[in-house]
Amino acid sequence: MKKTLLSWLLIGGMGLSGAAFAQSDYPTLSQLNQRLERVASNASAELTSLTKTEGGKDIWVLKVGTGQLDQKPAMAVVGGVEGYEVLSVELAVQFAEKLVADHADALEATTFYIFPNMSPDAYEQYHASLKYERRGNAVAVDHDRDGTSGENGYTDLNGDGMITMMRVEDPLGEYMISKEDERVLIKADKSKGEAGKYSLYKESKDDDKDGEFAEDLKEGIAFNKSLTYKFPVFEPLAGDMPVTQKESRALLDYLFEQWNIFAFVTFSPANNLSSPLKYNAGNAKKRIVTSILEKDQALNTMVSDLYKEIVEQKAYQQDNQGTDGDFFQWAYFHFGRLSFGTPGYWVPEYKDSTGKAKSNAEVNYLAWADSLGMNDVFVPWKEVQHPDFPGKKVEVGGIKPFVMTNPSFDKVAEIADQHTEFILKLAEMQPKLEIHNVKAESLGNGLTRVTMDLFNNSAIPTHSEMGENSRWLRKIRIDMDADAEKIVSGNKIELMDSLEAYEKASLSWIIRGNGNVTVKAGASHAGFTSTTLKL
Amino acid sequence: MKIAKLLIALAVGALSLGSYKADAQEKFFRAVGTPHNPKVEIAFNRYYTYEGLVDNMKKIAAAHPDIAKLESIGKSYEGRDMWTLTITDFSTGKDTDKPGMWIDGNIHSNEIQGGEFSLYGAWYLTEMFADNEFIQQLLKDKVFYITPTINPDARNDFFLEPNTANSPRSGMMILDNDGDGEAGEDGMDDLDGDGNITMMIRKSPTGRYIKDPQDSRKLIMVGADKVGEYEMLGQEGTDGDGDGRVNDDGVGYYDPNRDWGWNWQPDYIQRGALRYPFTLPENRSIMEFVMKHPNIAGAQSFHNSGGMILRGPGAEEDVDTYNREDIRIYDAIAKKGEEMIPGYRYLTVYKDLYSVFGGELDWFYGVRGVFTYSNELMNSYLYFHKESEGRGQDEMFKVDELLTMGDAFVKWQEFEHPQFGTVEIGGFKKTFGRAHPGFLLEQDAHRNIAFTIYHAYHTPKLSVMDVKEEDLGGGLKAITATIFNERLMPTHASQDLKYNIERPDYVTISGAKVVAGFVIEDEDFNKFTEQKLNPEKISVANVPGMTGVKVKWIVSSGSNYSITVDSAKGGKASWKK
Repeated sequence: MKKTLLSWLLIGGMGLSGAAFAQSDYPTLSQLNQRLERVASNASAELTSLTKTEGGKDIWVLKVGTGQLDQKPAMAVVGGVEGYEVLSVELAVQFAEKLVADHADALEATTFYIFPNMSPDAYEQYHASLKYERRGNAVAVDHDRDGTSGENGYTDLNGDGMITMMRVEDPLGEYMISKEDERVLIKADKSKGEAGKYSLYKESKDDDKDGEFAEDLKEGIAFNKSLTYKFPVFEPLAGDMPVTQKESRALLDYLFEQWNIFAFVTFSPANNLSSPLKYNAGNAKKRIVTSILEKDQALNTMVSDLYKEIVEQKAYQQDNQGTDGDFFQWAYFHFGRLSFGTPGYWVPEYKDSTGKAKSNAEVNYLAWADSLGMNDVFVPWKEVQHPDFPGKKVEVGGIKPFVMTNPSFDKVAEIADQHTEFILKLAEMQPKLEIHNVKAESLGNGLTRVTMDLFNNSAIPTHSEMGENSRWLRKIRIDMDADAEKIVSGNKIELMDSLEAYEKASLSWIIRGNGNVTVKAGASHAGFTSTTLKL
Repeated sequence: MKIAKLLIALAVGALSLGSYKADAQEKFFRAVGTPHNPKVEIAFNRYYTYEGLVDNMKKIAAAHPDIAKLESIGKSYEGRDMWTLTITDFSTGKDTDKPGMWIDGNIHSNEIQGGEFSLYGAWYLTEMFADNEFIQQLLKDKVFYITPTINPDARNDFFLEPNTANSPRSGMMILDNDGDGEAGEDGMDDLDGDGNITMMIRKSPTGRYIKDPQDSRKLIMVGADKVGEYEMLGQEGTDGDGDGRVNDDGVGYYDPNRDWGWNWQPDYIQRGALRYPFTLPENRSIMEFVMKHPNIAGAQSFHNSGGMILRGPGAEEDVDTYNREDIRIYDAIAKKGEEMIPGYRYLTVYKDLYSVFGGELDWFYGVRGVFTYSNELMNSYLYFHKESEGRGQDEMFKVDELLTMGDAFVKWQEFEHPQFGTVEIGGFKKTFGRAHPGFLLEQDAHRNIAFTIYHAYHTPKLSVMDVKEEDLGGGLKAITATIFNERLMPTHASQDLKYNIERPDYVTISGAKVVAGFVIEDEDFNKFTEQKLNPEKISVANVPGMTGVKVKWIVSSGSNYSITVDSAKGGKASWKK
């Protein structure tokens, strides 16, 4: 309790000092655009629209850095991966704002790419007159594959401007009232002799008269379900093929041109920061790799520990470590980069005075909300007339959309501060190539032996184990600028697969003649170093 | 009956005699099975560049405006048009209302003859249409979409730039293949300027080879206890970027046939893949065309070489995707193909060749439920009509001695190499081995196209038949109808049914007031499935091949009704009382 009080005070203080935080709710797209433009007015930031979505919304990238931007290791920060996670957009944008305003020193060594919102079409639903948790973009899709697109979405049966749930009293139903909280429905456990009493649906009508409810949504393809890793082919919100959408293609095309990204931080439901991904030897050795590789798991553990030092909220029900077709796994399994993900926020575990935990996430949420006096998060079940269930009792109600995945806006500042600190700490750990022990020994008759050590002065290797396999990461290249005919032994150009954390490699040449020679070593995502010596 | 047939035959004979004279082509006499006096003359004993193929396609479209239309379905990486010929009898319906057959060639740019084979198909169909009943009926029922080269940029590179028989396999996108941050800085060097990248050898005291005393073209290894004369230096070329390796970063590397969006895998799992499925504009254009043509029910892609009729799955991981009912149809068509194309074997990619992800044939089947084959054209069987013996190279030397009179080999010649000193350059030309020699080209094209026509013939053909009425009393009557499919392929492959890829077939009755509608499961035992919503338009999940589906309506009025069937891959048919 004390801690909560303290953080409240902290937020209050910040609210006073920063005019940018005068907001009381998550911003609209146009407010976001204004803030991005404000960031871009800084000399170190460049704002580019990669494409416009089907809904006519920009997909923005902020590239932030100084000097030789493309020669420095870079991190990518991605938000709006799920359209209903409005917090994720805010975290990415606040990171950009804080980076240019307060952390310009970080740009000396690192370049940042911030993709604040990959699902702007879906994001808009938060501010629409009908509010619901939306994932898909504005493309017309036939999710139930019956030949007609989007003909059975949600219906606001109780006219409250949001989509919750509807329950139908039905002895054949699979759901029953939770014993812990009568507002919540849970699946009846037949093995325990429990009988269902309700059918449970999203608030909707059977518009296409096929016996299904809300099975052909009036939304398109979900960004976070349509990438190439484990693409869930033909599933609703995924489509027939991966990476078919304007925003996914534009993002990937852009990323494949940015050779300097070494790590991603993605704000989305998948979480490998509260606990690292688990290595599975069998799955790592199959032709289609579906386990993090062994060395990368150790890295993930190290970074997860860093995260838990900075981000105070204790993990609760953070068991999503990736879903089919998502972005977070794509960045690692198909793009070969270090990939870290967190939703940034989750409902904390609530224990009552007896110290007993709740068995269900919704029960836990409501108990926690009650304890804080949050009384506007639940729509009480109320009977409605439903044309598809004549003679049956149909009630609409349930937890309001967005409230379980996004904290109230006054909590965001603290979360953003902690995550900004985490990203900057992670950036400090980036691969760092240095040249040491440079020696030029004369062998007589105009020959000089040049030796040196190339050293990665970082806890992070130049290439993740996965990245070593990828042709989309460059090798470390060592260039000796002496004329080819003067190099008696050693390579003018040498390529090296990787350097581990704190690993060194010894280099040696024999060169004829005198004057200065320069050795340059590095790769875009690991940075470059060079040294000049006299023969 | 017999007399009538004879009379017609005589009349037809007289007619054709008349037209023969009218042509005043007294120097020709028609050989069976080939257009003898075509409107478009094309020599099928040579190869065509992209421009050459396009020229011929334009001539075909211009000479046969009623059955052939030419359109560009997109642009290649370097901006060339991807030309597609749509061939059907347009007077009998829109192309999209008929079952479609997609044909392409040359996805691997060095696998050139797919271009000529596809072109032969377009030429044969259009030129035979005038006087061959089978082709007339075929173009009434079906549509062919023919794209002879789906890799036009690199097709031209293969012909016009120095290459081996194996290069380029990709398109012309230049990538950083050696991972040094520079793209395409060490490509092929045609040192002797003959357009072929052959081999380099060098005299060396430690070499382990000599030239065969009986055949100086051949390099043979000396016995373990003998001193040799030559060492092999590998491919004709130089180390263009100074990294100690020859020709290590040229055009391509990627594989256009690892770029398709079914079970696609990235490069470290599937070498040759690009960023994501359909990174290549050529493949993307085809994908978009196919998605806009749900009538495509069959597909054929021409590769080389080895003499194979291949079906999927390409990847072992996809074994379950291809199920038994569909494999039965694949087998039936391809076994016929083995008879039609001597020396060719019917094989399954993953188990008989190699296991690959992201191939075209798996995409056609996996995402669209389209029955698809890839033929690996050219087989050494065609040289001497027997299985080749011993090492392939030995046979090639024999072929070039006896059949192509030395035209296939670049003789060893000395050359001053910037890095290796004095070397000798020589070897087989790029157009030999994988490509057909001219004299074998037309015959093998015909046989492969005949197979493809057989494949297209067996896309579904629907009719409404056996319509019966039964008076039920009280002003009600029952109408039953059979939707018959008289070909091998179903309207929905089992892959299609598994994922609901394509909409159901609709059987619609009009001109009657429908009370109830059913699909008949078992007529003899009165087993029906009722469709409650819109019973006048019954959704049928599938019409299997060589059999039918029965539907039933109960109607309260209507005596002048008609029944239509509308299937995405099976075309349309109707019946009227």
